[in-house]
Amino acid sequence: MSRTLPIKRSERGHAMLELAISASVMVTCLVGTFQFGYTFYVYNQLVTAVGNGGRYAAMRTWHGTSGGGTSDQDVELGNRAIRNMVVYGDPEPGPDAVPVVVKLKPEQVEVRWVMSDKSDAKGDAKGAPAAVNVSIRDYTVDAVFKTFTFTGRPAVEFPFVGQFAASQQKPAEQKPAEPKP
Amino acid sequence: MGSSRQRGFVLIAMSITMLLLLAVMGMAFDLGRIYIARNEAQIFTDAAAMTAASKLDGTAAGIERARDAVKRLPMRWNLGTQEFTGVIIEFGHDIEFGHPGSQGDPVKWDRDPKDPAQVTMARVTAPANSVDITFLRAVGGPNAFTVPASSTASSNPVRVTE
Repeated sequence: MSRTLPIKRSERGHAMLELAISASVMVTCLVGTFQFGYTFYVYNQLVTAVGNGGRYAAMRTWHGTSGGGTSDQDVELGNRAIRNMVVYGDPEPGPDAVPVVVKLKPEQVEVRWVMSDKSDAKGDAKGAPAAVNVSIRDYTVDAVFKTFTFTGRPAVEFPFVGQFAASQQKPAEQKPAEPKP
Repeated sequence: MGSSRQRGFVLIAMSITMLLLLAVMGMAFDLGRIYIARNEAQIFTDAAAMTAASKLDGTAAGIERARDAVKRLPMRWNLGTQEFTGVIIEFGHDIEFGHPGSQGDPVKWDRDPKDPAQVTMARVTAPANSVDITFLRAVGGPNAFTVPASSTASSNPVRVTE
């Protein structure tokens, strides 16, 4: 009895040590897997959402003046619909709409219009929208053990292929563009 | 004697567990990256095909503009860090429905079309998006996995002004 007791005690110590070492490795691996797995999942959702928003923006009817900047009220209304499309998958979301990823807000979606700087053979007049750039600005993924912040990505740029409707309430000298039929 | 046999068992159990753990980590990490890359590449080719088709106007200059516009698209892949390489842009003529016997004809794709006036469609392929594999390599996976993507768009000649 007196001989076996110290051996048993030392074996128990081994088991504790082995558990401590292996458990720390395992837990680290599992935490890392969760962190990256969840972040990749969120990023993939964002890629899809931004892609859908960009496609929606590309096909929308453009309401705004020829050469109008982002201060244009109609353009801002359109941009708001595009941001809602990215975040909620719906240009006019209801009060209980759920964002595609946790805590994503429409303000975190950036919509930038690329205006054509010259009239081309397709009939797009100078100042008509040529493309639309949609991206995510400063979205932070909370993966519990670590946070990742995405700035300016994911981003998409779609060509504007929708219809062009100039605003009516603008003064006459800002003539709306007249694309060839 | 007994204690050394037990220590060996823990070693074997740990190595088997680690292998399984690597496989699970590989699933989460590498497959996650592959799916993101595939999604990014598909959305890029969608946008690029639309861009190319929107520049087509029946002239050789239009085809050149289409190539140039796709080259200048700012979209990236691999978590938004890498530019697309080896992008292939092909042009073709739309199938004319209503002509007897024309339904079954496949579209003839041409990187450098002889007759620009006939070109109404563009197809963009991003073939070289190779994702490096990190964990699945340790359990018999490949070193890299390529996720190609391709999209077709046709030009819409009708623009309406309200």
